[in-house]
Amino acid sequence: MPATVRIWDPYLRVVHWLLAAAVLLAWATGEGWGLWHEWLGYAALALTAARLPWGWLGPRHARFADFLHPPRHTLAYARSFLAATAPRYLGHNPLGGWMIVALLAAVAATSATGWLFTTETYWGIEWVEKLHKWCANVLLALATLHVAGVATACFRHRENLVAAMIHGRKRTPGLSDIA
Amino acid sequence: MRVLLAAAVLAASFAAAPAHATGLATCDSGPQEKWQPQEKLQKILTERGWQIRRVKIDGGCYEVYAITEKGERVEAYFHPVTLAPVPTQRR
Repeated sequence: MPATVRIWDPYLRVVHWLLAAAVLLAWATGEGWGLWHEWLGYAALALTAARLPWGWLGPRHARFADFLHPPRHTLAYARSFLAATAPRYLGHNPLGGWMIVALLAAVAATSATGWLFTTETYWGIEWVEKLHKWCANVLLALATLHVAGVATACFRHRENLVAAMIHGRKRTPGLSDIA
Repeated sequence: MRVLLAAAVLAASFAAAPAHATGLATCDSGPQEKWQPQEKLQKILTERGWQIRRVKIDGGCYEVYAITEKGERVEAYFHPVTLAPVPTQRR
């Protein structure tokens, strides 16, 4: 039996890291780098749009149906996660799965409100700017939680999930793991 | 430890950056009591055909979001004492 299995497909990995880079750079260029900031925002929106069809058409672990669990199941997982008894998932765990949806929604909302600010009708309008900043702060908070969740899972299950998102492979599932 | 230090330095650099200073333009404009009122600038620009959306203060300048008489969206800077336009870096 091979020691690792392929979990994340190349398309998913490329979209993941480009989106992470676009969001980080958009954050960094928010004040005083308008042209760069706008294009990074459009890139983030395009990458989000590019991720969506993959949630139905992509390989197994890229599909929403693979990682979106019903609330009751997600809550049970959250409790076991806090108690440090959560099982290892080969794909996204139930909390991670909903985090994907939250992150994609936050990127879409942040990009959309940012674009709105550049339209003739809403140019310079204060509430649009405030809403955009609020969305961006929510996005940053979610991204921080995402990284914290990944770090915790890395530690608990003794595996490097960052590397897995780079080369796509993860340790072959054990008996108690959920493939 | 080194990570903590890096985080602290990063946090400090954010905290040290003055609020709303975008670095697009700076005006050596002295105390605000000697500035011309925003309303005067708005009046001049409106008479020129501009549609003023908002006036903020950035880097000691008046920062104006407006639609020009040609229908262009602009984020323009003006010196608060002279009300002269201040060139900005587009980046």
